[in-house]
Amino acid sequence: MPQISDRRLSSLYSTFEAQHRSNPSLKLGQEQVFQLLAQIGDRSGWSSNKVLAELKKPGVSREQQVALVQRGMTASEKRDLAAIVDSGQVPLEPSAKQFLDAVLGRSTTVTPPPTNGLTITGDQKNGLSGITKAGAQIEAINLSTAPTGRYRVDDTMVVGKAGQDGRFDMAKLTGDMAMREGDVVRIRARYDDGSTSDWVTINAKGLETRDTRNAAVALFRIGLSDAGNGKIAVTNINASRQISEPGARLQLTNNRTRESFSVTLDDKGNFPANFTVNGRAGDSFTVAATDGKNNVDFREAVGNVTVPGGQPGTQDLVPDPALHKDELDAAGKPRFSKARFTGPLFIDGPKAEDVAQGQIGNCYFPAAMAAIAKINPDAITRMIKDNGDGTFTVTFKQRDWATGRFKDVPVKVDADLYVRSFGGPLYGRSTNSNDARQMELWYPLVEKAYAQWKGSYNDIGNGGLVNDVFEACLGQNAEYMALSWSNETRVFDTIKRALDAKKPVGAGTFGSDESSRYTNTGVYADHAYSILGYEQQGTEKLIVLRNPWAESEPRNNGPNDGIFKLKVSEFMKLFQSLMWVE
Amino acid sequence: MAKPPEPLADVLPQARWVVDAEVIEVVASGPTPPRKDAPPGSTSVGNLAAAQTVKLAVKQVLRGDSVRELVVEKPAAGYALKPGDKGPFLVDANMVILGRYGPDSWHPERIAAALKG
Repeated sequence: MPQISDRRLSSLYSTFEAQHRSNPSLKLGQEQVFQLLAQIGDRSGWSSNKVLAELKKPGVSREQQVALVQRGMTASEKRDLAAIVDSGQVPLEPSAKQFLDAVLGRSTTVTPPPTNGLTITGDQKNGLSGITKAGAQIEAINLSTAPTGRYRVDDTMVVGKAGQDGRFDMAKLTGDMAMREGDVVRIRARYDDGSTSDWVTINAKGLETRDTRNAAVALFRIGLSDAGNGKIAVTNINASRQISEPGARLQLTNNRTRESFSVTLDDKGNFPANFTVNGRAGDSFTVAATDGKNNVDFREAVGNVTVPGGQPGTQDLVPDPALHKDELDAAGKPRFSKARFTGPLFIDGPKAEDVAQGQIGNCYFPAAMAAIAKINPDAITRMIKDNGDGTFTVTFKQRDWATGRFKDVPVKVDADLYVRSFGGPLYGRSTNSNDARQMELWYPLVEKAYAQWKGSYNDIGNGGLVNDVFEACLGQNAEYMALSWSNETRVFDTIKRALDAKKPVGAGTFGSDESSRYTNTGVYADHAYSILGYEQQGTEKLIVLRNPWAESEPRNNGPNDGIFKLKVSEFMKLFQSLMWVE
Repeated sequence: MAKPPEPLADVLPQARWVVDAEVIEVVASGPTPPRKDAPPGSTSVGNLAAAQTVKLAVKQVLRGDSVRELVVEKPAAGYALKPGDKGPFLVDANMVILGRYGPDSWHPERIAAALKG
């Protein structure tokens, strides 16, 4: 223990020594130095807590921090600090030592800021630290978590700002990008003129004793196509986003031949150009991944991907639900044919904007699915399993009236869909494309499975309840409110409470007996809408709605994408019912 | 009804007139079609509003002979018209308004683009 006369400083340093004894790799970094300096700088009329807060305030330069501490430092405290720096048993991070030397007024060898670059220093125990140009903004992305989000490789988060000396400390990624040991993190500095430094990529260290998070894989971005001669081309169908973290190794095993192929992803987390595996159209592959530390034997699979094609149209993999009666001719024969759709199950996960109602009277279904996709997309991802053989299992929930509990109802479907003469789906579709090779499949497949479960498209295409779909997808009780028995405050609060709790909400308009109130409003009678959000601007309360047609809305509401806002007072006039999950 | 409007490409060829117009009179209304019962909160039930005969004041003719007024039939459908309602009306050779939602079926810009294309 160095000679420290200040009682509180001595006590704090003893704590660090104790931590060092239990973890010999511990070094004093920025955070610990702040704590020490807060005890030293508290003679300037400020409490140590106030000093600590000032030291940590964003945008405060290192020179300002040094001046702040020096202003409150007594000669005795200066001796204490020198003792800590010179004879303390707990090692200091280089940047921490430089800081303390500056407080002591010692001449230090200051690392000059890079002229057009960025240097990351130390470990990441207390976040990112480093040096760049003065005043630069620090941007970072966690490439280990980004693949399964919707992030592009340059969708960065601002994590800090360099001071006047070009230094930054404690810059932390948060939310789904929060760093864990071993994560691949890419950082850059953005200068005042808008230009940026080169990227710096690090593997996060100092956060945990062991790297336990394996590389995440965006299975839904893996595109397989028959390249002929027994080869399957493997590509990223959305190359602006990652398959997995840079340097991750993926293994694809052909489930027919059991042959395995492995590949190392490039520095953007993508497949190298011209990567192929052996196989043929219709083959399915099991995908496994390793970050070099976890799952190195590829024992744990991520999932399956299937090569589109095979013998399209020649073999119905699963009997399909019958058409709605409106689409049968006088003899009861279908007026529409089917086509096999081979697009991706998900493109960047389920989104409300994916959903478009087809030519069928089931608005309650797409309205409910879009509401769920907005608020709980993982529930949809969990519902659908790609069986790897051209079929998919969609698992609904059904209430067991004997026990009151919900039980699983798995429904198997293939991706054959009824199509119009121009090739687009007749019933529910995704908004990204009408092309059978490109259309995102999740929504039309869930609708098809719902029709399969209930009997036919006719059985789901003559009206229904948003609530029933909420319960069938989530296995949770849903509530109904007749708006005529309520008031604006209660309705808005109900919507707010449900959405804040990540529960989906839908609404229904009056029936056609009230249809004259809707003409020219942009809202339609006998129709269900998803409620995607709410806004409160002063006393004005707004509700964000979506027409499941993916278009048609009140005027002056932005692009004609079906999404629009209504004042809660207008909502009360045009809507009859509110439905939400408890 | 609450099905989406029919694809414009399917309907436009049947339109003898495409006009920007306003309803100035409801000349006659037909009987209310039979109604289907449904649980509270149900949508897409498909009950229809009664057929109507309405007089339109035409502001602009986008397709068809030049006219200032049209007396047309609004079939039993998921919408109803009243004086003052306006928008693009597609009318077939039998003087029946086309489109599942009449003047609210398609965005005027989309109709204009389809007529050009």
